[in-house]
Amino acid sequence: MLLYKGWLESRTRFLLSAATIAGLSALFVFMNRDARAAVTDRDVTYVQYLWSAIYKGYLRDIFVVVVLLLGMGGLGREQAYGTAGFTLTLPVSRWRHIVTRAAIGLVESTVIALLPAALLPLLSPVVNETYSWSLALHFAVLWAFGGAFIFSIGFLASVLFIGEYSAPIAGVAFLFAYSIVTDLPGVERYVIDIHDFMKATGPHGLSTLATITASAITLIAVAGRITAKGDF
Amino acid sequence: MNYVIETHDLTKRFGTFEAVSKLNLHVAAEHVTGFLGRNGAGKSTTIKMLLGMTRPTSGSGTVLGCAITDTKENREMRRQVAYVGEDKQLYAYMTVDQLIRFTASFYPDWSDDVAQRLRRQYQLPGNRKVKALSKGMRTKLALLLALARRPALLILDEPSEGLDPVSIEELLQTLMGIAAEGTAVFFSSHQIAEVERIADRICILDHGKLAADLSLDELRRDYRRITLGFAMRPPEHVFEVPGVSRIATSGRQVVVLAHHNTDEIVARAHGLDAASVDVAPLTLRELFLETVKASNDVAL
Repeated sequence: MLLYKGWLESRTRFLLSAATIAGLSALFVFMNRDARAAVTDRDVTYVQYLWSAIYKGYLRDIFVVVVLLLGMGGLGREQAYGTAGFTLTLPVSRWRHIVTRAAIGLVESTVIALLPAALLPLLSPVVNETYSWSLALHFAVLWAFGGAFIFSIGFLASVLFIGEYSAPIAGVAFLFAYSIVTDLPGVERYVIDIHDFMKATGPHGLSTLATITASAITLIAVAGRITAKGDF
Repeated sequence: MNYVIETHDLTKRFGTFEAVSKLNLHVAAEHVTGFLGRNGAGKSTTIKMLLGMTRPTSGSGTVLGCAITDTKENREMRRQVAYVGEDKQLYAYMTVDQLIRFTASFYPDWSDDVAQRLRRQYQLPGNRKVKALSKGMRTKLALLLALARRPALLILDEPSEGLDPVSIEELLQTLMGIAAEGTAVFFSSHQIAEVERIADRICILDHGKLAADLSLDELRRDYRRITLGFAMRPPEHVFEVPGVSRIATSGRQVVVLAHHNTDEIVARAHGLDAASVDVAPLTLRELFLETVKASNDVAL
């Protein structure tokens, strides 16, 4: 039933996010002839255009924001809403609350990551174009792992900052600072740039996937430990 | 005596502020215990520590024999304890029926019969979202969720806060009903009239310390306000005998609060040629105000 509660809490955010990502993915496909010149200033192929519009640019930025917002919530927010007392007096460990919320968020961010991958190959024939399933799947994997990392940042931010606006602002600020740091000369060799990873211009082999997974798990575990030890 | 709640030097500090200070609390089973105190006295912090929501800075405690600082024991304890918080906030996005089903899933002893009976009695609309319920209705729903799990101990934090008189009456009736069935009730309040009506024991907390712990029978039987009138201002120390908790002199009148030795005080007053002697039982309101006042005087 905790899964049910978690779903009810996040479903509006998830459905709106999914509708936004799916709708914009479809829009970029259907408007490809008109939008191609606007998105890139060069004469590019259909596949290059979709990469620029979706995986490199606009839609990726939106994906980052919506996944960050999926990480918001938890016992900190419940404390602000006054429901933490009810939740914490259920005969359930705090870790179970944390793991459940993390699991729901990760599944939701993965589903959103899969939406462009499912829609591009399906809709492209409608506009007399093709988009390979293998390429779509490749980017789906990158977005799913990148999404998990970004979700974990939002998850930790929602534990550290319980204000309604302070947590998302802190999450966005962290990602902004992280982007600047990863672009510094020399740093890029040691720190994975999640944006480059998601657009497949940076390293995205198995070791990178493992590092991102470990980072996401670590951030969620830190958030869990803070919650488990905290006063409500 | 069998205790459902016991604490030993339970202390909670927030920085330099000591919200609860070396609290030694004993709450008896099968009793309704009122937990009185002013705003900020430490009642809610104590309840949160008992339920594992807040960690004590030092000291220890048990609820139904389970250590409050042991996460595993605390979780087991929460299966048998129901809690209704001060603001009665519940998941706003659920309907009444969804919340009942959700809560029921955590308690093996959940009684659907009790839940359905209370839902009808409280006239709670099953398909209405919690966010659309009034505070009175939310309180009733919180009580339903607490009682249908058939707890051994019911803890309530300011249960009547924000309720209209009719809802308060229904709440008190409910609490008296479940107490009669053997459930121990521990509730914090600063509504003295309510406490006096349904509690059989009271604990008064002030500045985080236990200032009084007695039964209402003891209060009625032993505690007296002795008002003495004299022709001229008498020496206060004459009335300083064991059992006197407070002596207040105003001009030629002396008021003595005592829980022992009333006869001795009256005899000493007559020995000083008192013009008038009036002995009256102490009300809970008077005891509370005097206890808090005495505690403040010591603090000052």
